[in-house]
Amino acid sequence: MNLRRILSLAWKDTLHLRHDWWLPAFMLLGGAMELLLIGWATSRPVTNLPLMVLDGDQSRASRTFVSAVMNTGTFVLEDYVRDEVAIREALARGTIYAAVIIPPGYAEQIIRGESTIAVLLNGAESIPATEALRAIEGVSSELGLAIMLERMGLDPQDVEGFLPSLRVWFNESLSEAYYTTPAELGLMMEFTVLLFAALSFSRERELGTLEQLLVMPYSRLELIVGKSIPVIAIGFIDFLLMLGVVHFFFDVPIRGSLFLLLILALGYILVELGKGMVISVVSRTQHQAFLLVLLVGMVDFMFTGYAAPVESMPAILQYLANIVPAQHWLEIVRGIMLKASDLRVLWPQIVALIVLGLFIGTFSFRYVRRALY
Amino acid sequence: MPEPKPDRETTLVGRNLVRKFGDFTAVDGIDFEVHRGEIFGFLGPNGSGKTTTIRMMLGLLPPSSGFMEVLGIPVGERPELIRPRVGYMAQQFSMYRDLTAEQNLRFHGTAYGLTNQELRARIDQTLDLTGLRGRRHVKTEELSGGWRQRLALGAAIMHHPQVLFLDEPTAGVDPISRRAFWELLYEQAASGITVFVTTHYMEEAEHCHRLAFIRRGRIIATGSPDELRDRFEDGEVLELAPSDAAEAVRILRRARAREKLELKEIEMYGSLVHLIGPSVRRKKRSIMRELRKAGVNPGRAEIIEPSLEDVFIARMRSAEHD
Amino acid sequence: MAFRHLMAVARKELAHILRDGWTLSLVLFTPLLVLILMAYALSADIQHVPIAVLDRDRSPASRTFVAQITAGDDLELYATVEDLGAVEDLFTRGEIKGALIIAPTFAADVASLKGMPIQIIIDGTEPETGGFAVEQIGRRAAEFANAAIVNQLAGAAGESLQTIDLRVRAWYNPSLEPRVDLIPGLISLVLAFPALSAALTLAREREHGTLEQLLATPIGRGDLLLGKIVPYIIVGLINVILITAVARVWFRVPFNGNFALYFGLSALFMFAALSMGVLVGMFMRTQAAALALSFLLLFFPAFFLTGIFFPIVAMPEIARLEAMGLPGTHYAIITRGVFLPGVGIEVLWPYAVMLIFLGVVFTALAALFFRKKIG
Repeated sequence: MNLRRILSLAWKDTLHLRHDWWLPAFMLLGGAMELLLIGWATSRPVTNLPLMVLDGDQSRASRTFVSAVMNTGTFVLEDYVRDEVAIREALARGTIYAAVIIPPGYAEQIIRGESTIAVLLNGAESIPATEALRAIEGVSSELGLAIMLERMGLDPQDVEGFLPSLRVWFNESLSEAYYTTPAELGLMMEFTVLLFAALSFSRERELGTLEQLLVMPYSRLELIVGKSIPVIAIGFIDFLLMLGVVHFFFDVPIRGSLFLLLILALGYILVELGKGMVISVVSRTQHQAFLLVLLVGMVDFMFTGYAAPVESMPAILQYLANIVPAQHWLEIVRGIMLKASDLRVLWPQIVALIVLGLFIGTFSFRYVRRALY
Repeated sequence: MPEPKPDRETTLVGRNLVRKFGDFTAVDGIDFEVHRGEIFGFLGPNGSGKTTTIRMMLGLLPPSSGFMEVLGIPVGERPELIRPRVGYMAQQFSMYRDLTAEQNLRFHGTAYGLTNQELRARIDQTLDLTGLRGRRHVKTEELSGGWRQRLALGAAIMHHPQVLFLDEPTAGVDPISRRAFWELLYEQAASGITVFVTTHYMEEAEHCHRLAFIRRGRIIATGSPDELRDRFEDGEVLELAPSDAAEAVRILRRARAREKLELKEIEMYGSLVHLIGPSVRRKKRSIMRELRKAGVNPGRAEIIEPSLEDVFIARMRSAEHD
Repeated sequence: MAFRHLMAVARKELAHILRDGWTLSLVLFTPLLVLILMAYALSADIQHVPIAVLDRDRSPASRTFVAQITAGDDLELYATVEDLGAVEDLFTRGEIKGALIIAPTFAADVASLKGMPIQIIIDGTEPETGGFAVEQIGRRAAEFANAAIVNQLAGAAGESLQTIDLRVRAWYNPSLEPRVDLIPGLISLVLAFPALSAALTLAREREHGTLEQLLATPIGRGDLLLGKIVPYIIVGLINVILITAVARVWFRVPFNGNFALYFGLSALFMFAALSMGVLVGMFMRTQAAALALSFLLLFFPAFFLTGIFFPIVAMPEIARLEAMGLPGTHYAIITRGVFLPGVGIEVLWPYAVMLIFLGVVFTALAALFFRKKIG
């Protein structure tokens, strides 16, 4: 190992970036800015869902129900309509997410204890539709309880006592940013590291400069290390900037040890780097490398729990999740930032990351070395 | 032409080298020895196995079988000992296009372990040697073809290698740049560097101290350009300057087809025609007659020294017939 | 603009893709593969959410209550603990997603109709499962409370338990399975992949120094740009067929619309997305730079801002504005509309117009900058 030679290779690779001077700038600042925008756009409760109401009763009771629904803050009132045709059309157009239909005679039915209210949901967008359903169900069970108490001759205000009180740990204010932004950070960081690592050798091969590099007195290890330094630097700076965004703009606390988080971030970068290097030597062109990064990155993304919780996946995918470094990394980020987890708690994830790191590292080093005969 | 050094120290050895790619045999059992200070030329058409041989010598490609030695060290055994003492200029331009000339040299120099002071001196030295001093801060992609070749050569020699591998180094370079390039090479050889160069340019092959003709992975002849010419078994070359060279070639080939003339080669060289065959000198008259009869003025006709190209083409043809 | 020239560029570009089977299969199958993987990940319901119970009452009533809570498949009684410290520990280790605390006065309070003193604790870092736990516990608690109240109504036998009966109907997707609507939504994401490839093509020419050669030919700049797009439109349309088939046959997502219409609108989307790709890649001289930029401007926004995972109506104004400028936003509406309600052009025309508009604007900008920057 000759440090001077290795640094010279790292310097050369950095020069490639400098000639498109805004590439590193964009990748670093752009990544943080992007996280800012995306985090801002998506880290909020689902609100503003357009709702249609067909009130066939027009009574005090029906108006109470509608205003209780509107008070949840989930909806904006699209329109009061007179018949179901308008609702049907709006659902088909996708302009509303939910409709509430109160039948004529609702007020009397309530007294008899057999009222029904129809809820129509736009199943073509199940995520907001599910949110809408939750909000309406909450209103109906609360109102229902209150009505029941009233009939019992009890004070309907007492309904509070029958509702479970809720406490949310690690995220008292139920801020959505607490769970969306770390996942978004993890995804963007992974793609950055994978992409730059994957381009390192494929670029030289595509442009015909690889052979020249290979006849130089670099050992294969020196080549890999030299190529890795700029990638690690970019990945780490990227992580710091995005962590800053998550912490300062989205007020996500860092309750555990920042030092531990940074160390583990470096470890995670190394694991992803190993994957990227393998991609970089199996690809003959940068285009191929990019497509492989896309494929691998998307598979990993599945397991960050952003689109669907890992627990709800088929069993085989849950097993598979264990060999995805991003999954353990996300547990670590959430654990340290939100739960103040330390080594005692995080050791399974850390061990998993180390095992995966050693495995991927050894494999990729051997493979890369052989591929660079 | 400078004489090869009498120095007989062997720097490059290839013994029964074979390289197969699937069913295809790119290099089919070649042997060669190159000595210190020698410019050794590998001459052959595209796809004859020249680049494959160089890549094997550099350790970029393992041979299917055979033995190679560079500077006394078997290739593949101690690459860390060989690589620092070897320079390589690939067929494809392989400087970094987005870096300046100086940045490329700086990277090469450091990669070969030059210290900071050495590096500065060597960069200046190389820039002077290649005439690139005024262009040191120009991005490589903005250099013209000739300058690029010089830069690549400069990079290949800046660490003072003992062996230099050049793979078709002057492909696509204008004649004047090519001339300058070869002068640089002579200087290097004179200082004791062994140069292994592949080419398909005839006039370039003339510059080599020793040549190997390679065809379909086999060496079909070796020797200095003079030796190869002396051993030219097909006798002499008759050069004609007819009024219409193309027409003359057609007429003579037709005559040969009717077995009126015994000639091995009838080739057009610009406005000239080269005729090769046993005792062509004595057939001069009948040839002239044949042409006049067909209404072509044969012009000046004289016996000349065979050019390397004549030798090469004849060799290739006879290898084909074997 | 000469069609012959355009096709010459397209053929060359196609040759780049076809040259090696590797790239070709990656370009062709990456969208499909990603879609299949994600669809599998989205396929199941939330089940067996582990919860802990701290029962401070230990009465028959509280035991009945706990048994009712954990009767279904959705919640799983992971541990019965003695104190809050144990609950906290389980949470920190991530072993439980929710906890139910029952106060010592539970049986007495319920019997006297004072209320139901229980508390639910959830892990706020995983709101999906946490929210689910709250919902399930809350629903069963309300049922339990209703039953308790009705029991107290002396001589009111036959009284209905339900006061408000919600009749929920989710159109197009009766059981609100995320898979049914996310698969059509994801199509707009995975079909944006070819746009990323297109972003590379101009940068590749510049990086290899072949662009000048191309500009020296009589091929017009518009032809050059369109020629770079056409092969990827073909790739995209092949994917439209493959993906629709897989979604329909394999994942049993209904397709209620008109396929010809869908195919045509997909072509419009490809046009708009690819022009955007070429525009983004145009400013970069190396493929690495083009890739980095297109990940930032094409990929991540297509992921998060096109309304696939998070509804656009709930986004802040600026993000909504950006979403309008992304072809994927309009195409996601189209795919969901065609797959599920099966609506036709009478509903979808505004989105089609937007796609045409975006495509023309991006192409025009690309041609404009192309002239300025390159030739």
